[in-house]
Amino acid sequence: MNVHKNKIKKNILKEFQSLQKKALNEAILSSIGDGLVVVDKEGRITYVNQAFEKMVGWKSEEVLGRRVVEVVPRESEKGEVVLFNERILTKVLSGEVVIADLTNPFYYIRKDKTRFPASSIVNPILLGGEIIGVVETFRDITKEKEIDKAKTEFVSLASHQLRTPLSTISWYTEMLLAGDAGKLNSEQAKYLDEVYKGNQRMISLVNALLSVSRMDLGTFVLEPEPTDVVSLVKSVVIEQKPQIDRKKIKFSFEFEKNIPLIQVDPKLLSMVVQNLLSNSVKYTVDKGKIKISLILDNKKKTLLFKISDNGYGIPKNQQDKIFTKLFRADNVRGKDTEGTGLGLYIVKAIIDSSGGKVYFESKEDEGTTFYVTLPCNSLIKK
Amino acid sequence: MILKTKISTILIVEDEVSLRNALRDKFIRKGFKILLAKDGEAGLIIAVQEQPDLILLDIIMPKMNGMIMLKKLRQGNKWSKNVPVVLLSNLGADDEKMMKEISEDKLAFYLVKSDWSLDGLVIKIREKISLI
Repeated sequence: MNVHKNKIKKNILKEFQSLQKKALNEAILSSIGDGLVVVDKEGRITYVNQAFEKMVGWKSEEVLGRRVVEVVPRESEKGEVVLFNERILTKVLSGEVVIADLTNPFYYIRKDKTRFPASSIVNPILLGGEIIGVVETFRDITKEKEIDKAKTEFVSLASHQLRTPLSTISWYTEMLLAGDAGKLNSEQAKYLDEVYKGNQRMISLVNALLSVSRMDLGTFVLEPEPTDVVSLVKSVVIEQKPQIDRKKIKFSFEFEKNIPLIQVDPKLLSMVVQNLLSNSVKYTVDKGKIKISLILDNKKKTLLFKISDNGYGIPKNQQDKIFTKLFRADNVRGKDTEGTGLGLYIVKAIIDSSGGKVYFESKEDEGTTFYVTLPCNSLIKK
Repeated sequence: MILKTKISTILIVEDEVSLRNALRDKFIRKGFKILLAKDGEAGLIIAVQEQPDLILLDIIMPKMNGMIMLKKLRQGNKWSKNVPVVLLSNLGADDEKMMKEISEDKLAFYLVKSDWSLDGLVIKIREKISLI
């Protein structure tokens, strides 16, 4: 008898423990501020937490057993629905390794068809090495997006405001230097020239900041037109000839004949070439070498712009950061104080939005080569 | 001595006094006749009365901004429809609507103030006047 009693006691204790565990799990899941959804290997919902219910407007009992991609559609910034096969959740279920793409914001659609920007983390549930489901947590990032936009708009506004006093300084120093208000002695002219140059640097910094904020706000307008890239490169080179000559750099430009006109925004492409060339000039020692080539790849239907120098190079451990906003490599910070850390960020943003690619090879103290490929599908004969 | 057959007159419409005076001083030294206005409203009245050869026009100004002044000017007589206007502002190319309006007006040109030296401006403006 005692044995029987003991068994009952044990069972009650077990049940109590399991209930306790369940209550604990329940408390943990509902205290999570992020939306949480668990699906089985068919993508059907087996659990949602309270934050999920609140954020998307569906009650747990309305969605259990339904496929999550149908209950909560995901769409892009422009309102294009992300297809079933493209959903990260589907990819994780099929065992694909997915790297979260945080630069590409998406939206979840609520029960009432309104939407909110979200960021999510998707993890597979593994049992004996097999995927039996997926847990997704997601967050409403409306506030973050608003703050980011406000920040960018502030930078844009501040930069515009800065341009007026910068114009004043620029114009009055120019008149003094021109002798409009009387002849300057050589020392006065020298000092004033420093004021003028410092001001010019501030103007280009403000221009770079404005370009960046325009990119971040998405107000950068591409205006592609049939462009002669050879003469575009030539005119950028002429602009920077004084700097190239001052450092006695051996410069060469090679290009294939028969390069067709290419459909690209000429102002933006000029900005790309200007940035890459001025970087090469800045970060190459006196009497160094810089070479630009334009190569047509008929097979891949691309035009390759290549610029090599035998300059300072980019340290290996910082090569993954060079396209990041405001980043400057350690080895050049000491040598040149003029860089803004915005040039390559701008280059990458322009090339990405033009459907091209930009990449590089570099070795410290040996030199750097940057490659820019531009699609020329819509070739136009000269 | 450079011999000129005719002295060109430029109307400068700019609310910022330091910039207005800098432009005035430079253009007078370079042999132009200068008219000044500190907002679009005054600019429009002077323009119609004096019929300058070219108008140098700021965009953001009190009372009447440069874009409205340009629009009103173009609604006027034969002279005001054809006078070249150089819009000189520190606005960027962000405002698509504004840039479109300027590019549709064949006799209006847009320059970013802080990107131009005074000497560069003088050359540009001589070029625009000689085209008439």
